[in-house]
Amino acid sequence: MLEMIKELCSLRGISGRESEVRDYVISKIDGYCDYSVDPLGNIIAFKKGKNRAENKVMIDAHMDEVGFIVTGVDSDGLLKFSNVGGVDTAVFLGRSVTVGENALPGVVGIKPIHLVDKSGENDLPQKDELYIDIGALSREEALKAVQPGDEVCFEADFEQFGDGFICSKAIDDRAGCAILIDLIRSELEYDCVFSFSVQEEIGTRGAAASAFTAAPDYAIAVETTTAADIYPAEDEERVCVCSEGAVISFMDRATVYNPELYRLALDTAKENGIKAQTKTRVAGGNNAGAIHKSRGGVKTVAVSVPTRYLHSPSCVCKYEDVESCRALIEALAAVMAQC
Amino acid sequence: MDVSHVRSILETLCSKGGVSGLESDAAEEAANMLKKYMPVRRDNLGSVTGKKGEGAGVLLDAHIDRIGLIVTAVKKGGFLKVAKVGGADARVLTGAKVTVHGKKDVFGVISCVPPHLAKKDSENKATAFEDMTVDTGLTFEQASEIISPGDRITVNGSFLELLGGKIASPCVDDRAGVAAVLRCLELLEGKETCPIEVVFSSQEETGGSGALAGAFASEADTAIGVDVTFASAPGVSKDIYGSLGDGALVGFAPSLDYEMSKELMRIAAENGIKAKPEVMGGRTGTDCDEIQTSRGGIKTALISIPIRNMHTSVEVCALEDIEETARLMAQYILERSGGNA
Repeated sequence: MLEMIKELCSLRGISGRESEVRDYVISKIDGYCDYSVDPLGNIIAFKKGKNRAENKVMIDAHMDEVGFIVTGVDSDGLLKFSNVGGVDTAVFLGRSVTVGENALPGVVGIKPIHLVDKSGENDLPQKDELYIDIGALSREEALKAVQPGDEVCFEADFEQFGDGFICSKAIDDRAGCAILIDLIRSELEYDCVFSFSVQEEIGTRGAAASAFTAAPDYAIAVETTTAADIYPAEDEERVCVCSEGAVISFMDRATVYNPELYRLALDTAKENGIKAQTKTRVAGGNNAGAIHKSRGGVKTVAVSVPTRYLHSPSCVCKYEDVESCRALIEALAAVMAQC
Repeated sequence: MDVSHVRSILETLCSKGGVSGLESDAAEEAANMLKKYMPVRRDNLGSVTGKKGEGAGVLLDAHIDRIGLIVTAVKKGGFLKVAKVGGADARVLTGAKVTVHGKKDVFGVISCVPPHLAKKDSENKATAFEDMTVDTGLTFEQASEIISPGDRITVNGSFLELLGGKIASPCVDDRAGVAAVLRCLELLEGKETCPIEVVFSSQEETGGSGALAGAFASEADTAIGVDVTFASAPGVSKDIYGSLGDGALVGFAPSLDYEMSKELMRIAAENGIKAKPEVMGGRTGTDCDEIQTSRGGIKTALISIPIRNMHTSVEVCALEDIEETARLMAQYILERSGGNA
């Protein structure tokens, strides 16, 4: 899976522009399942297991990543842009990005610190002051290379480092995509539906449609979630912890999880000797929020990879936690199919 | 204009570390490049110095150090506490990928502090240096084995080509200046010149000690410092500052030699070299401030190369401006030597 995560993370796919990721996923699952692409661009895949499932189980991961979209070009050739999904200004000032279908390099400019008042040296610029510099010196020159509506991604720069960690843009949620692909390419105990959904980052829009179409009884949202296990945070401040395994949420901003399923997920992990933990903070949200409200309601759990610095160009997670998530999801899907 | 030489020098230099006080690999590379033209040594403060010819001549200076961070402590979970070296900018460091130059180079990420761990009133503020940590992904034991307080940290970044051949890279400040000096020497190759001394100074970003010592040790009576300056951009007014592509920006300031500044402008005009004046009201904030008052005084001029996003890992420059700076210095030296291009 590691190589697949690396390849997936290097693809460019802000919300609504998931085609590179979709093509990659299809290239990997073709021949291992029946799949179709729905009107929004979600991939819905049916994987036949060794046995027929009593309950229909859907496993979802989202293909899109956070980034930006070009909104206009100023008279000096600098690009104005809007965020796509939640991105803190602090994580992209003075960074390189790629713009448009041809991945033209650009940089997010900033007024030099030397010219900033000492009292405001840590103040971040306001959103309307931000711009991307592609090296053009006039609007005319810029418009030859870039158009409003072009997508902007963080520069792809995958690293393996430290004690089994990886660092990249878009680990949210390409790690999830890799887990789903790997499951589809393996032999499963029971029939299962998979959803590679679009537009999670702008409000879980794709999964709402794919859940309606798939009409599952049970669902697993496969995600990444904030690990705040950085110095000097202690205990529950850390929310969840890298190297302690799959994260199972009891509640976040979008979903109050079914308590029996939450318990079932923890028990399944324990019975199978899979590392798992919960989140010690009610924060964030994911496709479970859309899926559990689909049709007459879907019993849903979220299984997430604990990940530091989400929504930045430098998401950090431990690869062994991705493996724990994969193992738990496989085991849990089999239990859900027959409960 | 052929900027391929300048590009190749700059690309090589920008790939090196060399945070102030530990200019190591950057200085070594610069020394290697310089020794094609003159005998070279490293002085007691780490600067690279060289001299061609005997007696008093022209000193060319550019600084070889770069801003960065320095490890102050290794903490639980392999996180590092750090301090800034030179005028590093906290606003561009959250989530930045870095290299920790320990016993071996180690990859790291500057931690992003989640809102629930952030200090009160920190909304829309960058993490201050005192709260900043670097995530090495190592255990405390592993990190302590490789990394010690005092190790330097550089921010990663690639050598990116933007539209129109502009370059974005870390440490264009002041590898662009070093590249201009080296290119100037290349342009002068095979020509009779007055004595030329070169100082690729250490520790400019931390106060200019390298230039101070380097100028003292030289015999030069005149000096030209080459550094970068602000190029116009949002928040950097065109009315005050030059722009990318303006060529060599010739400094005019009370601390600089007025006759030399005028001479450089005249030479540029007569030789079709792109140049513009850049005016400062006192000192220059560059090595020139140290060089000017060295020994009994050295007549000093400053040529600046305009860059955007100074002190970030995406300092943007136009290679043509480096080439014009090299040409202007070469022509100045030729005229002083009584020859012509």
